Amino acid sequence: MNVELTELARRFGRNQAVAGVSLQAGPGVYGLLGPNGAGKTSLLRMMATVLPPSSGKMRLLGRDPGNHTQRREVRRRLGYLPQTLGYYPGFTVAEFVEYFALLKDMPPGQVPRAVATAVERVGLGDKGRAKLKTLSGGMLRRAGIAQAIVNRPDLLLLDEPTAGLDPEQRVTFRALLREIGEQATVVVSTHLVEDVGAACTEVALMDRGRVVFHGTPGELTARGEGSGAAGDAPLERGYSAVLAAARS
Amino acid sequence: MTTATAPARPARAARRLPAPPSFLRLCWIELRRSPMPLILPLIALLFWFDSYRPSTTQAPLYPLVTFWNLGQGHTIIDFGPFVAGMSAWIGSRDGRRNTVDLVSATPRPRWAAQLAAWASAAAWAVAGYLACIGVTFALYAHRGVAGSPPWWWVAVGACAVLAFSAAGFTAGTLLPNRFAAPIAAFGGFLVMMMSSQAGFADRSGWALILPSNSNGNFQADSGILYPWLPDLPIARTMFFAGITVAAISVAGLPAAAGGRRLRMTAAALTAAGLATTGTAVGLASTARLSAHGMVIPALHDAASDRLTSYTPVCTGTGFRVCVNPAYRRYLADTAAALAPAVASVAGLPGAPVRAVQGPAVYDSADGGGGQPVTISGSPPVLSVPLGAWSFLPGINGFSTGPDSVGAFRQSVWLLFGQAFVGAGHGPGTPAQQAVQAALLQRLGVPFADQPGLLGSIELTSGHPEPLPGPVAAAAGRLAALPAATRHAWLATHLAALRAGDVPLSQLP
Repeated sequence: MNVELTELARRFGRNQAVAGVSLQAGPGVYGLLGPNGAGKTSLLRMMATVLPPSSGKMRLLGRDPGNHTQRREVRRRLGYLPQTLGYYPGFTVAEFVEYFALLKDMPPGQVPRAVATAVERVGLGDKGRAKLKTLSGGMLRRAGIAQAIVNRPDLLLLDEPTAGLDPEQRVTFRALLREIGEQATVVVSTHLVEDVGAACTEVALMDRGRVVFHGTPGELTARGEGSGAAGDAPLERGYSAVLAAARS
Repeated sequence: MTTATAPARPARAARRLPAPPSFLRLCWIELRRSPMPLILPLIALLFWFDSYRPSTTQAPLYPLVTFWNLGQGHTIIDFGPFVAGMSAWIGSRDGRRNTVDLVSATPRPRWAAQLAAWASAAAWAVAGYLACIGVTFALYAHRGVAGSPPWWWVAVGACAVLAFSAAGFTAGTLLPNRFAAPIAAFGGFLVMMMSSQAGFADRSGWALILPSNSNGNFQADSGILYPWLPDLPIARTMFFAGITVAAISVAGLPAAAGGRRLRMTAAALTAAGLATTGTAVGLASTARLSAHGMVIPALHDAASDRLTSYTPVCTGTGFRVCVNPAYRRYLADTAAALAPAVASVAGLPGAPVRAVQGPAVYDSADGGGGQPVTISGSPPVLSVPLGAWSFLPGINGFSTGPDSVGAFRQSVWLLFGQAFVGAGHGPGTPAQQAVQAALLQRLGVPFADQPGLLGSIELTSGHPEPLPGPVAAAAGRLAALPAATRHAWLATHLAALRAGDVPLSQLP
């Protein structure tokens, strides 16, 4: 298992952002769904090793991120796209991706090819020399995805990766996710249930810091059948039904 | 098979250079995208007005033209605050650009990434500083400035720029918002102002370590008759190097900077930097004044005290005047000034037979001023400390216009007379004052102008007040005597006069 979470919790003052999440995930694409404030981003930040958990256990890629040496090992094999992508406006796309490839301890000799491949995979091949400050929001998002996948991660954490992407790019991106998910564990936090339906092999639905549903997209869809829950698509109705049940 | 479809001949494997280490590659990216160059034109403009232009009002000798910009630290004042501000802007980048999570999720310690950003910013700042100094020295060379440049002081400036950069950068990492830059720039400016104030007030002790403390920096004839004394610059280089190491290591102390081992290394480096800085302050506090600069016993090399050998340039047939080649431009004026003075005492005991350039004696209090000439040896030789004179003909110091040759001559006559009667460093006895005044009057300086002359050359022994009545009266009587009579009286009484044994009443 690449991800093993046991009763993982995180508290910010009085606010319990994540309240005892237990999950296990191997290779595949995992969707993390939930309303605003459900704790998805906090959970992803803990898995990205940038936010220490308040309690619980976490093993990533078979290692304990609480241990400094093992955390470095995890980070070498990790790709992370935060919800709000920070970037250096003066850098070009290629420099931005290369910068993070180097920070990820990639062998210097492999970096140029890896950067070119990552930039090409997100469809920014012709924008490699463009400065980030000249890119549109969607292109910036793709540059962020490129830095996340440049090291061919075994664990890829993407927080709202398709926000700002046009429909065509979204389709391409889902294909990319499926391709990466064949060998790596991809965790995608998203509001867009169609992303989950199209790309994810499993889905977890969070509410108020807890996982209230864990299963396949088909199982989630089934929860909505005949429930009378609101939603335009079967998966949306399943989403609404599970949330309503969790809150009742 | 057509040419177009034919398989390409396998290219010979291109010889590839090994990829540079990751850290160097990070530095290269940062170097290309660092915003530090954006501020350099502004600094260069400030440097031009504040450091270069004032230096052009000095006599074209390296100790003089570099006194304002390197000695008094104006170059550091021009660079320091702006470099600190821009470095803080760069240091606060991750906080301002919201990239903390992205950078933190990588295995490379955050401090390493910060070091790359700082190293690039510092490299730009130091390159800008060296470019400004390089252009300045090139302009000096074009102008014919004589002597050798004070390279040690250049090194001090470079280290100061590094220190401001490191301090500003660390301030930015600790205060990662848009206010970091103005706060760091203002802090840098405040530090330099305090340094200047302390520097002007304290002429010894620990304050000598401060970058804009000019006491100890003015070394007349350094790089010309003496090597530049490296003692104080070495201490200041240590001071700034220590600050640089300590400041940049502080950025490695927070938990987010990296692992425990790295943070312990940062703590050790911080301590080492502070220890180096403290040692430098301690060394500066042991400094003492020598004849040509500040000496720090623990750092002093006796070789620095030896006069530099040179082949003098000379003029004159009867009375020869020889100076260091760096002072060649003043040779004719000096010889012309000395000629009537020497002629007026020709044949008298102790009258000099030739003149040579003597080394200036350093004085942190007045920066040289009008150091006296001396007559010594057998046959008597006049030693002229041209390097200590701020009244050399031409442009000088902060005077509104160039000093005239006429004023230079009168100043030389005054100093010559003082030396000839044996007044030494003080005004002399009343009789010596009267004889000096009479000699000056005979050379063409009326009694009425003599107090002004004394005041204008800022002699430490100067007394611009009018001569006391009895002295003025005796001087008038002596000057009114026929030349032969005056000559004869001087020939008889000169030895006693120099010994201070001639009372005023004994003058004819």
